[in-house]
Amino acid sequence: MTPPALEAIGLSKRFGGVLAVSDISFVVPAHSITALIGPNGAGKTTLFNLITNLTPPTTGTVRCFGELLAGLAPEAIAARGLIRAFQTARVFPGMTVLENVLTGAHTRIRSPAWRQMLWSGAARREEQGLRRRAETLLDLAGLLKLADRPASALPMGAQKLLEIIRALMAAPRLLLLDEPAAGLNDTETAELADMLRAIQDGGITIVVVEHNMSLVMGVADQVIVLDAGSVIATGTPAEIGRNPVVIEAYMGREDA
Amino acid sequence: MLEAVQIVIGGVLQGCIFALLAIGFSLVHRVASAINLAQGAFCIVAALLTATLEQSYDVPVMAGGLVAVAVTGCLAAGLGAAVFVPGLRRLPTSSMFILTAGLLTLLEGGSLVIWGSQSTTLSSFSGERPIHLAGLLVPTQGLWLVGLTLVVTLVQGVLLARTRAGRAFRACAENPLAASLMGIGVGRMQLLSFVLAAAVGALGGVVMGPITSFQFDTGRMYTIFGFIAAVIGGIGSPLGAVAGGLFLGIATQLAAAYVSSLFSNALALVLLLAVLVWRPSGLFSAGPTRRQDVRDEPRVQRAVIRIGRRQGPVLAVIGAVLLFAGVPWALQGSGLMSSAIITLIVFVSVLGLDVLMGYAGQVSLGQAGFMAIGGYTASVLAVQFHLPPLLGTLVGLAISLLAATVMALGTMRLRGLYLAIATLAFGLLVDSLTVGLESLTGGPSGLVGIPPFSVAGFRFDTPLRAYYLMAFVLAVALGLLAGGMRGSFGRALMAIRADPLAAAALGINVPRHKLAVFCISAGLGSISGSLYAFYFQFLSPEMVGTPLSLQMLAMLVVGGEGTLFGPLFGVALLTLLPTLFQPLAQFKTLGSGLLLIVFSLYLPSGIFGVLSGDLRLLGGRLIAPLRVLP
Ligand SMILES: Nc1ncnc2c1ncn2[C@@H]1O[C@H](COP(=O)(O)OP(=O)(O)OP(=O)(O)O)[C@@H](O)[C@H]1O
Ligand SMILES: [Mg+2]
Repeated sequence: MTPPALEAIGLSKRFGGVLAVSDISFVVPAHSITALIGPNGAGKTTLFNLITNLTPPTTGTVRCFGELLAGLAPEAIAARGLIRAFQTARVFPGMTVLENVLTGAHTRIRSPAWRQMLWSGAARREEQGLRRRAETLLDLAGLLKLADRPASALPMGAQKLLEIIRALMAAPRLLLLDEPAAGLNDTETAELADMLRAIQDGGITIVVVEHNMSLVMGVADQVIVLDAGSVIATGTPAEIGRNPVVIEAYMGREDA
Repeated sequence: MLEAVQIVIGGVLQGCIFALLAIGFSLVHRVASAINLAQGAFCIVAALLTATLEQSYDVPVMAGGLVAVAVTGCLAAGLGAAVFVPGLRRLPTSSMFILTAGLLTLLEGGSLVIWGSQSTTLSSFSGERPIHLAGLLVPTQGLWLVGLTLVVTLVQGVLLARTRAGRAFRACAENPLAASLMGIGVGRMQLLSFVLAAAVGALGGVVMGPITSFQFDTGRMYTIFGFIAAVIGGIGSPLGAVAGGLFLGIATQLAAAYVSSLFSNALALVLLLAVLVWRPSGLFSAGPTRRQDVRDEPRVQRAVIRIGRRQGPVLAVIGAVLLFAGVPWALQGSGLMSSAIITLIVFVSVLGLDVLMGYAGQVSLGQAGFMAIGGYTASVLAVQFHLPPLLGTLVGLAISLLAATVMALGTMRLRGLYLAIATLAFGLLVDSLTVGLESLTGGPSGLVGIPPFSVAGFRFDTPLRAYYLMAFVLAVALGLLAGGMRGSFGRALMAIRADPLAAAALGINVPRHKLAVFCISAGLGSISGSLYAFYFQFLSPEMVGTPLSLQMLAMLVVGGEGTLFGPLFGVALLTLLPTLFQPLAQFKTLGSGLLLIVFSLYLPSGIFGVLSGDLRLLGGRLIAPLRVLP
């Protein structure tokens, strides 16, 4: 039996007087797509920050494929195959699109820096392999012709896409996406849904924070609903769709 | 006992001026969240101006002092409006450092042109006779200084707490965007804080003038000690600034009296590092340090300059032919050969700076300190112990790497600003060691009798041989770095510069890369320093002092940072110009300050960027390899 991709155990985070995340526990089965939904300020982004240890949790721990992540630095967590994309795309300005994607492969590079400095053949072959892989991914996303543009010159939607490709370059086991559909139109959202399924078919587990309900209902195997820092419901999209608590807390507030 | 009390009194007086400067740093940091390295220079400008008024025009010292403070205030207003505030609007924190380093260089260079390099002093406000207090001697001027510090502390406390301007200041500090939405002119407040800080510094400089001697470049000592005081007190905390200043003043005076004056500089640096490591929020402030991610850095749109993959080899061949055949053939026997050699030596050091700053985005204001370590270690070993130059160079390298590691580990987890200031303090410490350890270094007059570089009996003692040695070292350094920068190592550095948090989330070990790059930069500086000494067969503290650090900063920015090859333009320009126009030599510092400011504000991609941009516009095929992407 494979251990779950992600297991949150009693995660809490307090910012001064605000309990942004309060005692959250959940399990993400391997190879699934889990959607994390909830109204603005529910604590979704904070939860991602706790999982990747960009902000240390006040209490609680996380297990990734059975391994305890407590106390690991963000780069060590990334090295274990847990990669995230940010809510506002954080591409690296001052680098080209292609370089941004290649940066994603950082943890996979085997040749140490001194070998690169010596222009060693092995390092160059490795680099060429990665470059081909990056170009393939960029091509799939329709960004290949922009490969040599500075990343900051891309429109916002393309930057978010670039960030996902950069994350994929890391060959993650678990991908955390924070509102990837924000700012996309309907066709683009449909393309994104296809892309998420393709990523899932590639054996990668996905946790996605999303406000776009059609996307969530279309791709998620499991939905976790957050409100005011707590989990208020968990289930399949269909179950969540008819859960009165969720409709009350989430949809109700959307109308207001 | 009495003696100790006397020393403490001296320390309190020193501490007062540190406190005044620290108050200025705190003020500017609160409002603009930037560190103004030119702070100390305003003290000296005001003091020098007072001295001129007093000595040449017989203006009474107090009246002259007031005029000088007013003039300095106006000067600060002009520089603030033309440089500092525009910089805040468009530059990230690390570039603000470079910009204010440019201001410091500009003010020092201007003072050098106007007042020359001799030191001077002022006469006391109320007579030279000290007061006897229970067997202790207190200079009357000391009472003026203490009084001024008290008044400034009180006034700024009232100003911040009670007045509308004070509230506006605080609003700017906490949330500039919200403040501007509330109708507070953020730019005006930033300017006001800059001018107020300069005026406080100027007042301090004038009142301190009679109890100390000063010259055009004393300002940077004030900047560094004032800043250390601010950090010790907790930057942004006004009372902490005063406490930090007094603490630092007393501690360094005691150290100077009971150990040696060299030790007092070292103590200041050690105090700074200790506070940064154990209590980054300061000894006297309760508040937590502001976190890196709370205030969003302005996202700078830098031009991305890359050499195309196919054109790279072609350019490399052209460059190699020029370096190994063209330049030596053209310049052999001419007076410019020596300039060419110096250009190559300094370029090696600036390359290190480029990797550190241009790629990884870390600011260093102490690169010449590593050149001094490399240069002095190798030459002392060669002169006094007859060690082969190559071995001495390696020993210097080892010491430099050790120093770099200690400093990087100490400041690593903190914001860029602390590393920058630690490097400046480090540079000044090395300066005082090279001057002070006279039995080893020959002191201010320099170390003579250094042999030329030699390997296995082959001496590089003619200009041509020296040139080829440097060309070889440079080619190796460039080759290694070009290999590193085009692979994952270089990308990781650029990612760290752009967004350290996102870089860490992709698995890049940010502290480790910062350490590596700091060591690379220190190592190149050290090697360059050793070669410098062996080439001149002479080394003096001013050849490898802090002014050189600041000048190399200018060379880097002017040439084009983050491009490896670009800085060569800056190095060549700033090395050749003073040689070609000898009479202008005294304008060298002024000029490099001016260039630093103009380029960091208006031409951030440097000469290299401008050239490659224009070449691209010409659209020729030969020049297409330098692609500038808008
Ligand atoms: N660094 C921080 N300091 C203080 N409070 C914070 C911090 N980060 C988040 N919060 C607070 O925590 C709560 C949860 O914020 P979070 O960004 O996680 O919400 P979210 O669910 O991602 O919302 P959205 O849908 O708008 O992205 C909010 O009340 C927010 O103000
Ligand atoms: Mg969010």
